[in-house]
Amino acid sequence: MGRPSGGGLADVIDTILDKGLVIDAYVRVSLVGIEVLTIDARIVVASVETYLQFAEAANRLDLTQTEEQGIPGLMKDIQEGGAKHKTRGAIEGVGEKLREFAGVDDAERAVRRRHRQGEE
Amino acid sequence: MAAPEQTREAQEERAVGCYVYGILPGDVEVSPDARGLRDGGVDLVRHGRIAALVSEIRVGTPIGRPEDLTAHQRLLDDAAVEVPVLPLRFGAVLTSREAVEEELLAANHDRFLAALDEMEGRVEYVLKGRYEERAVLREIMAEVPEAGRLREEIRDRPEELTRDARIRLGETINQAISAKREADTQRAVEALSGHAVATVLREPTHREDAVQAAFLVETAQRQRFEKAVEELAQEWQGRVGLRRLGPMAPYDFVVTPRPGG
Repeated sequence: MGRPSGGGLADVIDTILDKGLVIDAYVRVSLVGIEVLTIDARIVVASVETYLQFAEAANRLDLTQTEEQGIPGLMKDIQEGGAKHKTRGAIEGVGEKLREFAGVDDAERAVRRRHRQGEE
Repeated sequence: MAAPEQTREAQEERAVGCYVYGILPGDVEVSPDARGLRDGGVDLVRHGRIAALVSEIRVGTPIGRPEDLTAHQRLLDDAAVEVPVLPLRFGAVLTSREAVEEELLAANHDRFLAALDEMEGRVEYVLKGRYEERAVLREIMAEVPEAGRLREEIRDRPEELTRDARIRLGETINQAISAKREADTQRAVEALSGHAVATVLREPTHREDAVQAAFLVETAQRQRFEKAVEELAQEWQGRVGLRRLGPMAPYDFVVTPRPGG
C-alpha cells in the first residue's frame, strides 16, 4: 500500500484550506498568526493558454477511430475483465484510504463517544 | 550574551500555542494514540456541553507541509465517522487552552451546540468527476459543427500559422465543456441528492472538471449513497472519471457567520 497520491493531497488542499469554519469570525484577541506554508485552493481561469491547449488536444484527436475502438487502453482493460474492479478502485473513499494508511480500524478511532455510566 | 532582539525572537519561537482542529460534543473522549500535527498528541478543551479538539504547537514553527495537511484532515474525518464534528479551516492557532475555552467555546457555546445537533448522525461525501479528454473532445466534435470546422482548419498545420483559429477552437471547446459540466452536474445531483439531506456545489478547479459537489448524508443512508455513486460511475464509464471522497467531516456544510452578522 502506498501513501495517498498527489491527487489525494490536492483534494485535501481543496477542502481544508478552502472550507470549514474560519477562526477569525469567532476569536480576535487571542489569535496567533502562524506562518502557513502552502498554496491556496486553485481556481479555474479560462485563458488563451487554456484555449491553445484545448486546440492542440483536438488537433491530436484521431476521429477515424469508431466509438467501439475509441479508447484502446480502456477497452483493453474491460476485455481483460478489469472494468468492474477498476471502477470500484476509482471511487474508493479517500477517507478510508487515509485511515487504512494510518492503520486505524473501527475499534481504535481517534475520537469516540464516552461510555455512559453502567455501560462499562 | 545574546542581543535583546535575538532573545525576544527565540522566546517567540519557543512560545507554545494551541492549534484547534474542530469543535465536538462534550461527551467524547480522545484515544491516547491519536496523533495530530507534527505527530503530536491530541487533547480536548471542554466547556459546557461542547469541546475543542486541540494540539500544542510551537508558535515559531511554520505549518502546511503535506503531512500537516493530511494530519488535520485525517483526524477530523476519523472523528466525524463516530461523532458530530464542526471542522475548522486549517491553521487556527490560539494563545492558550484558556483562550480556547473562554474566547472560542464559552463565547459561541449555544451556536456551536446547535450546529453539532444538526450534524448528529451525518457525514459528508465529495464527488469529483473529470472528463476523459479524448472522449469529451469526440463528443464536442460531433455535436458542435463550428468546432469540427475549426479543427479541420488547424489540422496538422503549424501553430504559428493557425494561432487565431486555435484560440477560437479552444474557446469553442471551453464553452462546450462548460455547458456539459452544467448538465452533468445536474445529472449527478439528480442521481445522488435523493440519498442526501443537503447538497453543495463546488467550483471547478480544473478545466476538464465534469462535476464537484459535496453531499451531507445520514449514516443510515451511507450504503445507498455509495451504491448510487457506483451506478453513476458505471453510467459514465469511459467518459467521466469519477471519484468519491469520504465519509469525511462536514467541511462544506458548516457556515461561518459574517462579521457583525
